[in-house]
Amino acid sequence: MSRSTTGKLDWVSILLYFLLVGIGWINIYSASLSEQSTSLLDFNQPYGRQLIFIICSLVLIVLVLSIEAKFYERFASIFYIISLVSLLGLFLFGKNISGATSWYSFGGMSLQPSEFAKAATALALAKYISDIQTNMKLLGSQLRAFLIIFLPALFIVPQPDPGSALVFASFFFVLHREGVSANYLWFGLLTVSLFIGTLLIGSLLVSIVAAVILIIAFFISKRKNKRRKLAPFLIAIVFTTGFAYASNYIFNDVFEQRHRDRFNIVLGKSVDTKGIGYNTNQSQIAIGSGGFTGKGFLEGTQTKGGFVPEQHTDYIFSTVGEEWGFLGSTLVVALFIILLLRLITLAERQKSQFSRVVGYGVVSVLFIHFAINIGMVIGLLPTIGIPLPFFSYGGSGLWGFTILLFIFLKLDSNRINEW
Amino acid sequence: MPVNEKNILNRLYFVAGCMFLFAIGVAVKLVNIQVSEGKKYKELAQISNFKSDTIVANRGNIYAADGSLLATSMPKYDIRVDVMAPVSLGNFNENLKPLSDSLSVMLGKPSSYYQQKLRKARSTKNRYLLITRGLGYAEYMRIKSFPMFNLGAYKGGLIVEQRTIREHPIGKMAERTIGHDRKDEEGYYSRVGIEGAFREFLRGSEGYQLKQKIAKGQWKPIDNANEVEPKDGYDVVTTIDVNMQDIAHQSLLKQLEYYKADHGTVVVMETKTGEIKAISNLGKAKAGGYYERLNYAVGESHEPGSTFKLMTMVAALEDRVIDTSDMVDTGNGRYKFYDRTVRDSKWGGFGKISMAEAFELSSNVAFARIIDEKYKQKPERFVNRLYNMGLNEKLGLPILGEGNPSIPHPTDKYWSGTSLPWMTHGYGVSMTALQTLTFYNAIANDGKMVKPRFIKEVRAWNKSYKSYKTEVIDAAICSKETALKAQQMMKNVVRRGTAKNIYDSNFSMAGKTGTCQYNYWIESGRYISSFAGYFPADEPKYSCVVVIHQPDKEIGYYGADVAAPVFKDIAMKIYAETPSVDEIENLVVDNVMSSEDFEEYYEKAQGDQKTMPNVKGMVVMDAVALLENMGLKVNFTGTGKIKNQSIKPGVKLEGVKLVELKS
Repeated sequence: MSRSTTGKLDWVSILLYFLLVGIGWINIYSASLSEQSTSLLDFNQPYGRQLIFIICSLVLIVLVLSIEAKFYERFASIFYIISLVSLLGLFLFGKNISGATSWYSFGGMSLQPSEFAKAATALALAKYISDIQTNMKLLGSQLRAFLIIFLPALFIVPQPDPGSALVFASFFFVLHREGVSANYLWFGLLTVSLFIGTLLIGSLLVSIVAAVILIIAFFISKRKNKRRKLAPFLIAIVFTTGFAYASNYIFNDVFEQRHRDRFNIVLGKSVDTKGIGYNTNQSQIAIGSGGFTGKGFLEGTQTKGGFVPEQHTDYIFSTVGEEWGFLGSTLVVALFIILLLRLITLAERQKSQFSRVVGYGVVSVLFIHFAINIGMVIGLLPTIGIPLPFFSYGGSGLWGFTILLFIFLKLDSNRINEW
Repeated sequence: MPVNEKNILNRLYFVAGCMFLFAIGVAVKLVNIQVSEGKKYKELAQISNFKSDTIVANRGNIYAADGSLLATSMPKYDIRVDVMAPVSLGNFNENLKPLSDSLSVMLGKPSSYYQQKLRKARSTKNRYLLITRGLGYAEYMRIKSFPMFNLGAYKGGLIVEQRTIREHPIGKMAERTIGHDRKDEEGYYSRVGIEGAFREFLRGSEGYQLKQKIAKGQWKPIDNANEVEPKDGYDVVTTIDVNMQDIAHQSLLKQLEYYKADHGTVVVMETKTGEIKAISNLGKAKAGGYYERLNYAVGESHEPGSTFKLMTMVAALEDRVIDTSDMVDTGNGRYKFYDRTVRDSKWGGFGKISMAEAFELSSNVAFARIIDEKYKQKPERFVNRLYNMGLNEKLGLPILGEGNPSIPHPTDKYWSGTSLPWMTHGYGVSMTALQTLTFYNAIANDGKMVKPRFIKEVRAWNKSYKSYKTEVIDAAICSKETALKAQQMMKNVVRRGTAKNIYDSNFSMAGKTGTCQYNYWIESGRYISSFAGYFPADEPKYSCVVVIHQPDKEIGYYGADVAAPVFKDIAMKIYAETPSVDEIENLVVDNVMSSEDFEEYYEKAQGDQKTMPNVKGMVVMDAVALLENMGLKVNFTGTGKIKNQSIKPGVKLEGVKLVELKS
């Protein structure tokens, strides 16, 4: 790492990164402290292992920052291919941990390639979009970009790890920033709301409501433009009706019961505090009982009692909520939002399109993890098992996010040299 | 890329806006659950963090009268193993063989069996593999030291579950009377016998302790005023005498097996106090063998048959409508009431006999005829007399499930002309063995009816908490005179009547046989053989009832054959100083020594009926009865003993119709 690099690094982001990782570790310590705990480096305890992961990520950071910025652009495709191969390899050599074959195991260590695939995909997408021959206004380019995004997701879904696969959808933000029509997003939002509407009020009602809205829309636009044709609206009505019934079918006949249960709980259609809803319910109890100022470090009764399952991994935010209260949790949320906004600012100041796209990729991936994870922990969203970046216990996750972030920070530090 | 400044800004705002909106959503939700609903969640956290832990009290023991243990609680250990506990496979494999060897030595199955079982469990990741159940404490300590298990709970994977079970040190004897008090998986209580009846004393009271959850699966007790110490249950000392129980059990078992009966019961009761010294209830299991299955003695109300003749006799004697010397003509052993015929067990009948003889010989015809004759106009008088003696009421035992006695009343809907005559010999009425015994015991006790009881006292450690006294149901169910007459008749039943097969010259017993056709309206050939009585006959100490249901009729079914020997066996063994020699074969010969009138009659009545017997010296009534039974017409003059008979003894009776007797 040359002096010039360190001087140009964005120290605000780095500070935020270390704050988040540090606070995360404190909470992991609290969540996994047990009677048998001896030292901070006890490799048998999650907090001990996480400390080692953090130390390793420091090494990774130095490594990532030492490599020439051009290297990432040049070898983006290679990284992407390696990561695809590693995902495919799971089908042959993967190790099954709690029901999902998402890990490679070396001795006592496990690596989860999907965590690294996110960074690789961000690089590959950036490389493709920044290619001089790519025009994101064209359908062909758009489809190729989609392919880059969804290929890894396709390999991740059957592990099964639909949560991690869903993360790749966040690259839409990137595409949107790079000029892909917002219609894709509207279309996505429309399908989601149609789907949820169907679950809430039934296919018939949803299709009627959609048809009425579309007919009203037709007459309003007719007033503006006399030559407006009815046919597209009729097609839209047929589409929404078909979709409403299809989602009903998919929900009842394609989804498994556990998926249905998750949706029903969030939509308030069923209350279940013992079975599938147990996690969310316990998590809400923990957070809720924290109150405004929290119970204090290592004082969380729900945390110590081990009531919240997976508390040191996916549900780590509930520890924050319980022990540090509303103040602590808003602080964490604020740190995330500040980091994300800071990263957007950094991305916008990039001269190279490649760097900018990587920046947006970082923002998108971090944001979707943050949103889905916290949404799940506080009961806003259905249970989708993805970690909270920098916070949740786990080496692969931490390293994946660290690499992702610091590649971008390296690119950013190098922006002066771009033209 | 043609993206202009404004467009870029819009797109930028869009992305940032999404994030901002989401952040707002999170903040709102956080305010909602941490501030607005904070109180609710705090309470929920309280609830899940503290629990009131129940401390189970030690259940009291049940003792026999002499202090030997009948039931006690023992800790037992179920052993399971978490085969995934040794993290590395190498560690697991290393211990597999030595562990299997140790298990094999201890539990008997081959080492390869355990190796295979454990290895399979490891491959299927079974974390809760059952090794064995019900180990005692010493065995549990031993298994703890086995290879792999000695690595401790976390690394060795040994999972131990303790439960308390009820042990019966004397085995299966009186199991049903000792009973149990348990809750099944569906939460229904099943309370049987003494365990059930005295559960309030035995169970003690549970203690409570407030505990706080401090870590996963770990609860720390909180010193708190809420804490309640558990109180151990009291011990219950029963009246059961272990030796007598053993005798009764073995004796009944032997007889049930010999007669291939369905089930049977024996109860031995101390005459003066009503203490139940032994109670055995054995039923045939489907798979064969006899087990304490139901408390037949207490719960099963059935038609008593001829043992009920005692009740009939006592009632009639009390009403002074008959006396023991009253004569009744039993004819040829068949007598028709309306469309139904009463039969005597002896083919050809007993002829004219006294009521005392009718009792001794158990003549159904005699009882039916005389009671019908005396009470026909006012059957309620007879029934009310039975009611007055408490026969229609339960004994009021603490043990649940006492059978209801039933004696029909003339005002009942189903009362008919045959109800009364059939009732006299125990049909159409029903009572439990214990109720029958209680009545017999009252007669042995000169009319004083005491309640059968199972419990002597309730003890708290070495102190008596509550002791139970003899309860008198009725100080006099009949006059002493009646009781003495009944006693005499019962003695004679054994000496020369239906139960003379159990007569023993060295030891006096008294009682009454019963042979009852059971469910005769469904299928003939099912019998209930019974015997109720007391011993020693002259100074009643214990009464005893034996009821055996459905003996194999090919082997035997008379109360005298099936039930009475059990009674004798028990009586003899309890009075062990009396040699218990089976003298049944000698009995008939021995009878010759007896010069009692009846013996002579009886012997002759049983003898060859084709030649003229020698009736000289017999009482006129006996002689007339005997000869008439043989189908002869008898003219006689005078009273007292016969001095002259018109046909000489030994003459063949073919064609002879008339005999003249003079005295």
